[in-house]
Amino acid sequence: MDLSKTKIFEGIYIIGKALWLEKVKILVIADLHIGYEEYLNELGIAIPRQQFKLMHEELKNLLNLLKPKLIVINGDLKHEFGEISKQEWNETLAILDLCLKHAKVVLVKGNHDTILEPIARKKNVKIVDYYVVDSIVITHGHKILNEFFDKQIKTIVIAHEHPAISLREGIKVEKYKCWLIGRWHNKKLIVMPSFMYIEGSDITKEMLLSPFLTKVNLDNFEIYIVADKVYKFGKLKMLRKKGIV
Amino acid sequence: MTEQQIEKVKPSTAAKITAILDDTIKKWFFSRFKDYSLTQLYGVMPIHERKNILISAPTGSGKTLTAFLSIINYLVVLAKKQELQDKVYAIYISPLRALNNDIYVNLQKPLEEIKQLAKQENINMQDIRVAIRTSDTLSSDKAKMLKKPPHILITTPESLAIVLSSKKFIEHLKAVEFVIVDEIHALASNKRGVHLSLSLERLEEISTITPVRIGLSATIAPLEEVAKFLVGYSYDEKTKTYNLRNCLIADVNFAKPIDIAVLVASNFFEDAKLQTHKLYCLIDELIQKHKTTLIFTNTRSGTERVIAHLKEMFPKRYEALNVIGAHHSSLSRKHRFNIEQKLREGKLKVVVSSTSLELGIDIGYIDLVLLLGSPKSVSRAMQRTGRAGHKLHAVAKGRFIVLDRDDLVECTIMAKKINEKEIDKIQIPKNCLDVLCQHVYGEAINKVWHVDDFYRLVKRSYCYHDLKKEQLLNVIAYLSGQYFGLEQRGIYAKIWYDENTQEFGKRSKLARMMYMTNVGVIPEESYVNVIVALPNERKNEKVGVIDEAFLERLKKGDVFVLGGHKYMFLYARGMNAYVNASVKQPPTIPSWFSEQLPLSYDLALAIQKFRRLVEQRMKKPKQEVVEFIKQYCYCSDNVANAIYDYFYEQYKFAEIPHDKKLVIEFYKSNDGKKYWIFHTLYGRRVNDALSRALAFLVARINRRDVEICINDNGFYIASYDKLQVDKAFEMLVKNYSKLHIVLEEAIEKTETFKRRFRHNAVRSLLILRSYKGKTKSVGKQQMQAEMLYRTVKSISYNFPVIVETKREVLHDVMDVEHAKEVLSNIANNNIKIKKIQTPLPSPFAFNIVVAGYLDLLKIEDRIEFLRRMHEKILEEIKKK
Repeated sequence: MDLSKTKIFEGIYIIGKALWLEKVKILVIADLHIGYEEYLNELGIAIPRQQFKLMHEELKNLLNLLKPKLIVINGDLKHEFGEISKQEWNETLAILDLCLKHAKVVLVKGNHDTILEPIARKKNVKIVDYYVVDSIVITHGHKILNEFFDKQIKTIVIAHEHPAISLREGIKVEKYKCWLIGRWHNKKLIVMPSFMYIEGSDITKEMLLSPFLTKVNLDNFEIYIVADKVYKFGKLKMLRKKGIV
Repeated sequence: MTEQQIEKVKPSTAAKITAILDDTIKKWFFSRFKDYSLTQLYGVMPIHERKNILISAPTGSGKTLTAFLSIINYLVVLAKKQELQDKVYAIYISPLRALNNDIYVNLQKPLEEIKQLAKQENINMQDIRVAIRTSDTLSSDKAKMLKKPPHILITTPESLAIVLSSKKFIEHLKAVEFVIVDEIHALASNKRGVHLSLSLERLEEISTITPVRIGLSATIAPLEEVAKFLVGYSYDEKTKTYNLRNCLIADVNFAKPIDIAVLVASNFFEDAKLQTHKLYCLIDELIQKHKTTLIFTNTRSGTERVIAHLKEMFPKRYEALNVIGAHHSSLSRKHRFNIEQKLREGKLKVVVSSTSLELGIDIGYIDLVLLLGSPKSVSRAMQRTGRAGHKLHAVAKGRFIVLDRDDLVECTIMAKKINEKEIDKIQIPKNCLDVLCQHVYGEAINKVWHVDDFYRLVKRSYCYHDLKKEQLLNVIAYLSGQYFGLEQRGIYAKIWYDENTQEFGKRSKLARMMYMTNVGVIPEESYVNVIVALPNERKNEKVGVIDEAFLERLKKGDVFVLGGHKYMFLYARGMNAYVNASVKQPPTIPSWFSEQLPLSYDLALAIQKFRRLVEQRMKKPKQEVVEFIKQYCYCSDNVANAIYDYFYEQYKFAEIPHDKKLVIEFYKSNDGKKYWIFHTLYGRRVNDALSRALAFLVARINRRDVEICINDNGFYIASYDKLQVDKAFEMLVKNYSKLHIVLEEAIEKTETFKRRFRHNAVRSLLILRSYKGKTKSVGKQQMQAEMLYRTVKSISYNFPVIVETKREVLHDVMDVEHAKEVLSNIANNNIKIKKIQTPLPSPFAFNIVVAGYLDLLKIEDRIEFLRRMHEKILEEIKKK
């Protein structure tokens, strides 16, 4: 993955699937869903486990390159489905240890994070519903809190949606992870892709999950596709007009 | 010892049969029947003499009683002597649960009558027990069976595989004397049959007596091969060789007279509305002239459409309850049973079926079968027609109603072949690794096996006789988790394997439960519900289902046709697609044809030959040619004229392709799109292989994805770019022997491959459909399969699930062998190539262009594609 920076707003950059707040040196990643393969195994699917290795590697590269002061994990660090196995516990700790070796860590609570407490406590890491820095609020995006309407807040960063987009040409269709950048109640809204190695849900045809997105018109959102690097694709309505989505 | 025989049997005499029958049975038989049927004359004696036999006879010829008469006779003799043991004497296997219920009733009744007769004669006789065991059987009934085993067990291939891994019931199966496989024609050509062939060897393995194998079949060819499939090989310990087991063939076909003809409803040129009107007027007229009519439509949606049209056009006749009914596989079992019951009682005027009424369920008296659209193979056409005049000597009356001109030619030649009793040959799948996985697992549950012993068992099946030992070892390696690395093995291994002792066995206590809930080979197809979101007054109305793969093609705003109505796709949520039901725009995306049956290769060749014979006469006066067509096809003036006109247009406008001349037609549409149309009338399975291999080569030369479109009569390759199609085709012809290598690479990115990978992942137990009491939706399975595929292919290309998917796509979905044959004929100049350019698609090309099955051959990497798409919009972005 090419880790060059793509500027989206003053001081705010996209690097692959991560968000970089340069002035305050904060790295934001989201939706790692550690244990997703175990979850599939539990369902009776003999899928070999590769996600952890891949995510660990990618995160290490990001940390070495950026040297952040703070890492915000914006929800769903772990894919939750009842009992936690020893291996998942170890993997979650390994990701946290990797982060803590470089910087402080804040965990933003996601809808899958109900049993994150013991792990956080063990590593002395804070769990919050949202994290505010300057005029930016970072929150998972599965619920809207009153605080987000505060005038001081100019930018909201959410995850949860696992956005992806299918590009088309004739009958050819390929799906890619993407960022969505738009507006919500006169504030900038940044929707992060998931950090895990599964594309996510196609915003052009699947119904959206996050309450932040159910009432907005996505046509005016800017699309940034993430593949080997980040590609700026412009507004969704323009892509529609061009007939490539 | 090595003398092996597949031998045709001659009919015996009535006296001989009567001589072997017990007195009570004799009395019973002649109280019910005047005489033995022809089928019985052929079949009863060999079974009595305990010889393996394949009985091929039309429906209604008393096949079932033929199979059972000797067996019941034997059981009654034992019962009278009080010598009946508590064991299963005979297993009857049929692919249909509905048929099982029929057979049960048809056995219970005579047994009851025989018992009454014996009572009247003051003969004390033990009860002969019959029981059904399928997935519907209640566990309380299964418990009863365990205590008091049925003497005759009626079951399905899947349930047989389950009892073969049962802890206790298997004890009752160790001295089975007869195995009957009914409707073997519906099994032999697919994986259910492959699965059964191994179950029969597993049964043989535990048996103290070698059971007699009896196969019952409708019209099928080649009979010798089906017989081999039924009996398999025996292994001689002394000489260490395999010998084909003996089998007799009773070919009682064609005893039943068939009256078949092709009907044309309109001249094909009127507008669609008028054509439809005329079509349904004709159908209605035929229905009204007959007592009970059965209509076959090939597809489920077709079935619904026919009913809707009849009701709409003739409400007085068809709106009334109990006049018309639908019967297809997506309907509930209760509904289907209800329809079958009404048919038997003679209450329905007309029933419309997709394919589900093909098999031998008793449906009472039908006096006319209408075939709407080509059934695509001679044997299927005969099977369907045979549903009329169920009694043996009644004439089976069938009428093809053709829908377009290709259909006209196809059905006319099919009718000729039916009249000449020339049936197309089936292909039996070989060495299917997914099915093998299930049986390795099933036997590992029973005991610890040495690989060599198990290999011998497997090689006895006709479907696995050529299996290499490495292939079996590969399957064992997969099931014992060896592909997954040591630390993860525990999670994935379903069996253990010890390389030193070369033994394998089960790993977990849950194994039996997992086996029982996941055994079977019928893939679940996934359908997405189409639900109305707009307009509001119809909100949440379910209008039908579409194939899941079709949904993948849809983008927001696409208009498609379903059940004759247009819908605009809005968005998808889980297994639902939401649509706007009030649309005016024309469809933007062609309908989906995955439901369609492929044309059989033999029939395709017959049509090609006919094309040549007509072309040779084209310079002669019309009347002479029409006369030739009439004589050659035994068809009406009307039909012969319509065929002549069609051929004449092609002859004048372009060139008639045939079995010695392949026409490649080039045409450029108004918007600059170029089409290379290949008139390869070899059936879709061959065209699938040819077109994909060619498109792959073209795509590789030009580094672009290529659009292909396929049907039974040919295919095209299309693009806006200039493609080097000629060069690629020359390459393909020159290297025809390597076709499968090109295809293995070419198919990997197709929709078909993705779907078949899921089926195979499920059958190979890589995805457990049912696990820890939960069942997965097909949609989930597909999503998981895609992730799984990406992962396992990074591990090894020898992964059995991948190997099997490739085999299945190349040999079952496509027909790579016949495709090679075609290419070699071109290479050897037996088929000449004729290239033409046309200003419009020629008449023969018309259906290929408008109604083919569209696909894309992907070669461009997804990142390459992304960059190209990015360049497309870069200008726009820069403007701002």
